[in-house]
Amino acid sequence: MFSKAPVLLTIVLSLLFSLHFPVASQTRMPQIQFNDRKLTNGFRVLSAPDHSSPTVAIQVWYHVGSKDDPNRRSGFAHLFEHMMFKSTRNMKSEMMDRLTEDVGGFNNAFTADDVTVYFEVVPSNYLETLLWAEADRLSGLNVDDGNFKSERDVVKEEYRQTVLSPPYGRFEFLLQQKSFVEHPYKRPGIGSIEDLDAALLNDVKEFHSTYYRPDNATLVVVGDFEPKQLDAWVDKYFGALSKPDRPLPRVQTKEPARKGEVRFTEYGTNDLPAVGLTYLTPAQSHPDTYALDIAQSILGVGASSRLYNALVYQQQLVAEVIASADSREDISIFMITAVLSEGKKPADVERSLLAEIKKLQDTPVLLAELNKAKNQLITSQLRERESNDGRALALGEAAVLLGNPNEVNTDLAKLQAVTSADVQRVMRKYFTSENRLVLHYLPEASKSTGGATK
Amino acid sequence: MIRFTKLLSVMLLMVAAVYGQTSPPPPSQPRSVEFPKPVEQLLPNGLRVIVVERHNTPLVTVSLVIKNGGEVDPPRLAGVADLTANLLTKGTTTRTATKIANEVESLGGMLNAVAQWDATSVSVEVMSDKLAPATAILADVVRRPTFKFDEIERLRQQYLDTVTLSLDEPSSIARFVGAKVLFGDDLYGHPILGTPESLKRIKQTDIVRMHRQYYRPDNAILVIGGDISSADSFNVAKRFFGDWIKPKTRIPAVPAAYQPDPQKKSRVVVIDKPDAGQAAVYLLRRGIDRKDADYYRGIVSNSVLSGYSGRLNQEIRIKRGLSYGAGSSLEARRGVGPYVASAQTKNESAVEVAGLLLGEVERLASAPPTDVELTPRKAVLIGEFSRNMEAVNGLVSRISSLALYGVSLDEINRYIESVQSVTPEDVRQFSSSRLDAKSSDIIIVGNSKAFLPELQKRFTNVEVIPSADLDLNTKDLRKKKSE
Repeated sequence: MFSKAPVLLTIVLSLLFSLHFPVASQTRMPQIQFNDRKLTNGFRVLSAPDHSSPTVAIQVWYHVGSKDDPNRRSGFAHLFEHMMFKSTRNMKSEMMDRLTEDVGGFNNAFTADDVTVYFEVVPSNYLETLLWAEADRLSGLNVDDGNFKSERDVVKEEYRQTVLSPPYGRFEFLLQQKSFVEHPYKRPGIGSIEDLDAALLNDVKEFHSTYYRPDNATLVVVGDFEPKQLDAWVDKYFGALSKPDRPLPRVQTKEPARKGEVRFTEYGTNDLPAVGLTYLTPAQSHPDTYALDIAQSILGVGASSRLYNALVYQQQLVAEVIASADSREDISIFMITAVLSEGKKPADVERSLLAEIKKLQDTPVLLAELNKAKNQLITSQLRERESNDGRALALGEAAVLLGNPNEVNTDLAKLQAVTSADVQRVMRKYFTSENRLVLHYLPEASKSTGGATK
Repeated sequence: MIRFTKLLSVMLLMVAAVYGQTSPPPPSQPRSVEFPKPVEQLLPNGLRVIVVERHNTPLVTVSLVIKNGGEVDPPRLAGVADLTANLLTKGTTTRTATKIANEVESLGGMLNAVAQWDATSVSVEVMSDKLAPATAILADVVRRPTFKFDEIERLRQQYLDTVTLSLDEPSSIARFVGAKVLFGDDLYGHPILGTPESLKRIKQTDIVRMHRQYYRPDNAILVIGGDISSADSFNVAKRFFGDWIKPKTRIPAVPAAYQPDPQKKSRVVVIDKPDAGQAAVYLLRRGIDRKDADYYRGIVSNSVLSGYSGRLNQEIRIKRGLSYGAGSSLEARRGVGPYVASAQTKNESAVEVAGLLLGEVERLASAPPTDVELTPRKAVLIGEFSRNMEAVNGLVSRISSLALYGVSLDEINRYIESVQSVTPEDVRQFSSSRLDAKSSDIIIVGNSKAFLPELQKRFTNVEVIPSADLDLNTKDLRKKKSE
């Protein structure tokens, strides 16, 4: 997804030595009992009944994302996602909104690097209606030049709103773009104005027939439904869709390992400089992902996290600092970004960030801090999985991105099992100078004076 | 990238598959669900403890509700209740603000304290095996806050910044002015975050008094919900709140609930804000209280007018493109709350939008909606309710609200059928007897040059107040010349 809004931390607090030692939760992690079904046309259906509230979440995951944008069409997968809300074989434009919002539900979609997901939550007695609607837009779109161009303008506005307009939108865009040299992840999903302008109506049709096919889709249904009834409706609406003979194109490009630190300086409309670091980390399905998630939490989550405490509170070098383990299907990046306080130097901030990384490499974290990180991560996961919608997202992610839906029932236990030694090991393995990219993003105004760059 | 040429035939083939059904299948019968049944105990000190078990996720929400909020702000001291709530987490006799934040983060939780109308709530959500340590912190901040000077000053400054900012937005000005016009100096007439003037007047003693008078076990409800046993929960409640002493003094009587003045003339108030890019247009009138027998007829009537496909948005946004969104709300409180219909529009169309708000409220009073229109409007209410009940904090907040207003807790299992049972004629009757548009007040905040002459043609009683002269502390809304 394109616009990860920076988390603004407004409360200034320090990490004091406390007599209170958090203990890791002994709670047994909840299991999601799900059915996993595959139709003969390759359409996969994951479903989990839960009758605690009369609602149902419906999601269709297409295994196609921004990395699959056609050549010189960066941003296309996302533009295409917008077109899926226009007219289909049997639906008028915006009808999906009427079928959901008008019955007390909601709907939306998102395009990520690896997947495009369409989702609805409706009162459970509308399940069949939405299955029909999703099948209808999988089977065919009614695009014309008029609605294509108007939607392309909407996406260009979205580009301006998320990349150009926020003071650090372009900074995040550049950091992602520069982090990869070969892999298509180097083309941020929002695309570019030139590539969006170059897109043609025919591209839409081609993209739909290439990727929107039953064997590239996973339907996830969670909530208040009867499994037998669901199976019958799925057969009725999705069973007759035919699977094309052509193979599904898949990105084959491998990102080469970094062989030495890479540095960039860029200028923008920002008032205060920003510093970004990225490290290449393995694919989301790699077991080190859990320890990297814990490292993210220790470094950056909450007012008592290490980076916040050192750089915001103690040294007062930065206004905000964010650590993010940005997991992806093929290869991931661990990103640290900081927006400087007035009058501070990027070089000093960079030095402090690296010092905090070194501490985690040199000294194992104490149990209390490790447990705090686990409690924060697991609680936030549990909160997300409380709703039908959140459980469906977790199930879809496990199936499509991790290749095994049952990961949803083991991932929290794996987080709980991470040790201090694991955290130290991944910090040493990935946070090396050879694997580092540094971006200094400076105010345009400082270019002439050359002042703040030192 | 591989290109394919046989596009058309593939498209047709796939389309044929579902061609048989060209319109969406209709909904089946609404499904009924049994929400968990809360159990309760009254502790000897008067604290009402309610527990609701739900075991699908190992989380627990603990919420302590004080049965008073912004409505007991003393005269001239708007904002005390919310400031008091916010200060609870900023230090106790045994924990500094830092320690509170660090301990809560270590448990993986979040602690929130906020005053609303009629209630103040302090709540925390954690994994269910952390019920006891989380409740310990919650009890500490509720019972032993220190209200330190420096924390008061820091928050006062934050509140002043927030309020000053909102006094530059036409829609917030309209809301504040509307409340003052409708409720005058009664309970709900002031901004709950205070005014710039009242915030400067608040002293530490006012905050301490607010806490001493209202934060007491016999004026509170503790609701614990989630993956816990009721026996454990009652034990935890007794352990951390059992020795909370009930003061010998009486709970101060809430000032007489708002009694509408039948002689009150409706007002049309314009706040002239020449730099406003858009005008905020508000229609307000008194609505209902929570125990009103017409509660369900009221919320269903409101839903016909409000929401994306509700009549107000249909007429104002969808048909005429006059606004990004128009809607209304019917807030049922302990006393009679407001009914508010509103939209933002360009300054030039302010009068047209005011006319549409009035016209739509009147139209609903003159003819019942059809079943075709009413059914989806009820579905919107039921859908929102049901989604809210998926998460345990939604369940807890719904139960807290029923308990606060003394409504039976069984109501969570009656909500859906109560909404379903409202008929088109019920809606018409409610609208004509309870939402009479003629007795509404109209507030417009915007650049009056663009709409005043037209407005004066339509209404004879237009009051115009330059935004620089606006004073939210008085009923006539004008700064005194001497000040």
